[in-house]
Amino acid sequence: MSLISLLKKEGHWSKRNVLVLVFLLVILPSFFATASVVYQEVIPRNVPVAVVAENDDVSDNELTIVEGGLTVFTEPTVVDSDEQARTMLEREQVYAVVTVPPDITDQEADATFTLTVDGSIVPFQDPSQVIESLMEFQLDQNLAADITAEREVVGGENSLPEYLFPTFLMSLLIFFAFTYVPYNLTRESAVIDRLRVESSLEAVVAAKLLFLTALMAVPIVLFHVAALYYGYAIDSLAPGAIFVLLLTFLILSAFSMTVTVITRFSAVGRFVNVVTMLGIVALSALAFPVGFFSPVRSTIARLLPTHYAMIIVRSRMMKESSLALFSDWLVGLLGLLVVIVVALKLSIVHYRRTT
Amino acid sequence: MNSIELDGVTKEYGRVTALDDVSLSVGGGEYHCLLGPNGSGKSTLMRLVLSLAQPTTGTVTVPDAVVGCGFQQPNFYPGLSVRENIDVFASLTGADDWDWNQTVVDELRLSRALDRKAGDLSGGFARKLDLALAFMKKPEFMLLDEPLGALDDVSKVRFLEFVGDYAGDGNTVLVSTHQVTEFEPYIDRVTVMHQGNVVFDKPLDAIDLGRHDSLQQYYVEAILAREGVAPEEQPPVK
Repeated sequence: MSLISLLKKEGHWSKRNVLVLVFLLVILPSFFATASVVYQEVIPRNVPVAVVAENDDVSDNELTIVEGGLTVFTEPTVVDSDEQARTMLEREQVYAVVTVPPDITDQEADATFTLTVDGSIVPFQDPSQVIESLMEFQLDQNLAADITAEREVVGGENSLPEYLFPTFLMSLLIFFAFTYVPYNLTRESAVIDRLRVESSLEAVVAAKLLFLTALMAVPIVLFHVAALYYGYAIDSLAPGAIFVLLLTFLILSAFSMTVTVITRFSAVGRFVNVVTMLGIVALSALAFPVGFFSPVRSTIARLLPTHYAMIIVRSRMMKESSLALFSDWLVGLLGLLVVIVVALKLSIVHYRRTT
Repeated sequence: MNSIELDGVTKEYGRVTALDDVSLSVGGGEYHCLLGPNGSGKSTLMRLVLSLAQPTTGTVTVPDAVVGCGFQQPNFYPGLSVRENIDVFASLTGADDWDWNQTVVDELRLSRALDRKAGDLSGGFARKLDLALAFMKKPEFMLLDEPLGALDDVSKVRFLEFVGDYAGDGNTVLVSTHQVTEFEPYIDRVTVMHQGNVVFDKPLDAIDLGRHDSLQQYYVEAILAREGVAPEEQPPVK
């Protein structure tokens, strides 16, 4: 009864605020979707690369020598198997896999290194060609064999606008979660006493989270229409991607609501939410791989849930990767949702006890 | 149990004691008037009964019954129309007797404002909407905090009659006010409060007005006397 009634109220409220909603759900997404075409090129600073032996003939010593030869552009990670390296590539933990051939210390031998990159990590395509040449030059200098390097692209190759498309959608949901959601909740303060008598703050918040999460279908569909219009080779309605987008929206909305309640619906809460939003957008490495940033920024990005959510969404939309590949991150996101919902509940309890 | 019981209730806000060891029983279908000057603790007492605040010490026991409230600061969705507010809260509280809801709207003279945005209502209409939302669910215990504020004279008279009849139907009404004259013909019991304490709590017919012309004069003089103002120094009270 409570939930249906409050959902009904949200319908009334949305009708009364249709202009704000049109701006946030239609105009802004259209802008984001269109603006993705303006990005063309970027240059990485530090590239995470996996190094793997082509077969058992490659010795640990040879791997160590190669590792040292690649330090010009990366601090490579030596992994045990090609499968492990490919998994890391798909999870964007590395942006290239260097496969080390045997006989690299044999003066008489010809050895061909393979630099494998993912076609969907668009910002890395041009830099990877430079890295291929650089790698060939460096390793040929350091190793006895006659060294050549080949670049192999796995998966379909996308354009930069296609790569940025999920980023803009994620950014929009983050913006919505940290601006409209707390604004909408703050508007309840005018009627908070009656709501507490007739229902409960918990029910109000739950109804709001449900309603606003469902409302996110509008920008998602709008983005899909834009993708069709531009002929983007991405699956913008991939169920796994939508699930993670909505899960992320729920996490961030629950967080912004917690801030709103704990600050007693004040302007301080709105300020904290906006600053948090700016921090998340700036530091999550949503648009470019973390290897494009300084080590500190990379570390910060890897501490933020939005970073992992972004990779999953991008992978599902562009590569149709299996969700199982990201099961540990999904468990982390779901766990975080539980933690934030508990925090939200505690903030409500605190609000009740201090009025 | 068919009454709201406060037992040794103290409520402190920081260093301010809003209620000081108050014990009171409200119920039995009485029309109960909580009378006191500003800051006497009336609204705090009501908030405690509604569980909108927790007592610092003591206990507040509310029976398992429908409790409604008209708030001192009208509470509704300012962004919705009057009709939408009624619709939302009727649904929320299960107030699906639309004949009764229409009666409430008519008695409160709210019909003309049904399609107006609640946030644009005048003080009087805002009060009426708040009261309408309180009455729709037919509460067995109705708490009204300064309900006459901003109401026009015609609306006041009609509202007083309406609440009088409502209490007469076996419902308990607790009204908080600092102006008892308008309620005097209807009420059964008076509790006078001052600075967080109960000065007296009596059935109306047990109060001996003595030399006083009205209950309002009696109450004001009682409060002034409590504040140390001698009768000859007190201003005349109508």
